[in-house]
Amino acid sequence: MSFHKIWLILRSEFWRRVRSKAFVLATLLVPFGAILLFAAPALFGYLADQTDEQTVAVVDETGRLADSLMATGGESLTFRPVDAPTDSVRRAVRSGQYDGYLRLPTSLLDGTGEATYYSMEGGGLTLRSDLDTRVNRVVRRSRLATAGASADVLSIVDSDVGLATRKLSEDEGTTDDSTLAYTAIGYVMAFAIYFAVFFYGQYVMQGVIEEKSSRVVEVIVSSVRPFELLMGKVLGIGAMGLTQMVTWAALATGGMAAIGPVLALFFAPSDLGASPGASPDALREAAGISVPTIPLDLIVWFILFFVGGFLLYASLFAAVGSAVEQQQDAQNLLLPVMTPLILPILFLVFIIESPNATVSVVTSIIPFFSPILMVLRIAITSVPLWEVVTAFVLLVGAFVGMIWVAGRIYRVGILSYGKTPSLREIARWATYR
Amino acid sequence: MAHLEVSRVTKRYGNTVAVDNVSFSAEPGRILGLLGPNGAGKTSTIRMITYIAVPDAGTVRYDGRTVGPWSQQRMGYLPEESGLYKRLGVKEQLVYLGTLKGLSQETAADRADHWLDRFDATDWADMTIEELSKGMQQKVQFIATLLHDPSLLIFDEPFSGLDPINADLLRDIILELRRDDRTILFASHRMEQVEQLCDDICLMAEGDVVLQGPLRDVKAQFGQNTLVLEFDGDDAFLDELVAAGQVRVNTRSAHRAELTLADGTDARPVLDRALDHTDELYRYERVAPPLNEIFVEVVGEAEAQRMREEAAADTD
Repeated sequence: MSFHKIWLILRSEFWRRVRSKAFVLATLLVPFGAILLFAAPALFGYLADQTDEQTVAVVDETGRLADSLMATGGESLTFRPVDAPTDSVRRAVRSGQYDGYLRLPTSLLDGTGEATYYSMEGGGLTLRSDLDTRVNRVVRRSRLATAGASADVLSIVDSDVGLATRKLSEDEGTTDDSTLAYTAIGYVMAFAIYFAVFFYGQYVMQGVIEEKSSRVVEVIVSSVRPFELLMGKVLGIGAMGLTQMVTWAALATGGMAAIGPVLALFFAPSDLGASPGASPDALREAAGISVPTIPLDLIVWFILFFVGGFLLYASLFAAVGSAVEQQQDAQNLLLPVMTPLILPILFLVFIIESPNATVSVVTSIIPFFSPILMVLRIAITSVPLWEVVTAFVLLVGAFVGMIWVAGRIYRVGILSYGKTPSLREIARWATYR
Repeated sequence: MAHLEVSRVTKRYGNTVAVDNVSFSAEPGRILGLLGPNGAGKTSTIRMITYIAVPDAGTVRYDGRTVGPWSQQRMGYLPEESGLYKRLGVKEQLVYLGTLKGLSQETAADRADHWLDRFDATDWADMTIEELSKGMQQKVQFIATLLHDPSLLIFDEPFSGLDPINADLLRDIILELRRDDRTILFASHRMEQVEQLCDDICLMAEGDVVLQGPLRDVKAQFGQNTLVLEFDGDDAFLDELVAAGQVRVNTRSAHRAELTLADGTDARPVLDRALDHTDELYRYERVAPPLNEIFVEVVGEAEAQRMREEAAADTD
């Protein structure tokens, strides 16, 4: 086997793709799309907050609640006590003077009645829960006061406590528990590997089919061994994939670093609840965007398992590609390749819930699943080193074996034209001399 | 320069025997024509010579050694169906294919320039293959075959898709390569091309070699039983000759006929008939049979007919 030739093929496959318009566009557009996807809900929420300034008339039949209710009003919700007949209040709502009116019957005070909100549009969920909370709080206070509760009791009832979670570290002391953040990271990484293996694997398959249908493959294999061509192609496309992912990671890191300064351009620190003169990082945290630091060992394992998983599946995609002349014919043959790739996705939720259950441990060590599941487990829990190493060694063994088998199929497939072969015929190719 | 020796080679695909115990050899400074209809085993044989496939039995030797990656570097192969990367530029493609044959980047680039110039194709250097016509693509393919200065050349239907001018240019270069003492294998089912170019022939049918040797010897072996006539006037006398069982018609048009004499028939009566019935006789010649007729005799009419049809389909 000539490593020089593999290198020549790798280089050509890599450059041909990386400088193509499609690649440049995809590399730049995907993060843009991702930002839109994540930013859109936040943006809409923000805009909704801005426009939803509601003015609610309060018809207080108890005569005791209106004042305290008004005190709870904020920027987005203003209460106006009115003392007018129902008819004229309704008219005022219909004419648009108020967004709606709230009727507080006397029976509220003994806890039997219910408050009613009348409006033209219904108000929406945010307003509904807002009103619900405020009316409840006001009624509770009033009833407690009537029952003779002291100011101390009242303040106790009103107080909210937060829940902070801390994680015990191996050595003494505690660290912030970022279980949630790491679950998210693990989830994203698992899906990243799934999609990367899937898409780049398809790329490999497509490349093989193109070479075969344009008959250029016959010229190439009169110069290099089919196995060298297969390896050069798989590694070249793998290098392209890594380039793309590293670019995305760099853009994401840059984007995170830029969030603080960008926020500072648009918001005053007080808008976000931060102290005046807060640093960009503090602003970002105040805005609820936290950047968990990803441990180095997780990044290293992510890359190793991605590369291993890619080599394992890409060689299979190549074998399938070599058997057909057009993409459509590959569908049936792809089933045995796609099944083990999709299966681990079904385990994701279970593993997130119980990362250390026997099923989780076993499935994350199986070579066809480990690129997705072991990375997920490393992210969300402390996986014993031996499990990770075993999974990786098995993965290496599996891709070496699969590349060998795929190479034998490929060698026959690229020169076979005509009817699309069955899986059984393809399996037999591996035994040809 | 070295010779190529195929000895007792067999290749099976599943249950089909594509090549069955085939032996022949090709000498430097000569062109060997590998003939036969599709399915005769030509492509399988070529694939074993080019080390794209490995024989199940027998050996292929070049320069005294069994072929392998080493011989691929010294060999240029132009496959029947042109194969180039559609979206890659002409020059980049040539340089890439050249480096795969062991050339350095610089040498490959220099040679690509030289050959593009020779083919008046310098303007295409930056065009992609899909922008080129079929004939232009064939020229690029041809350059790719020669770029690394191979000593063994294998051309499978090299003239397909070329106009007459470019076909001539290609033929000149092939003859030039022969003068340089290279070993050349020329596969085709176009008999007239083989007759024009080849020194030796090897006729294959259904995985077997049915006839081989120097073209002249092969033809001499079949004697001078063919008549070529060119004339003006009524050609009904031809029908009478056929009806009398004296000749078989190979080809026939309004003013020309190529006939094969039936066994035991003299040529003279045919000349008499022609003089009697035609207004003018421009040509009467007794020659060795064309390859096509030899092929008919060796493998039978059905097989030969199939090959003629394929050849006709090719010229479209």
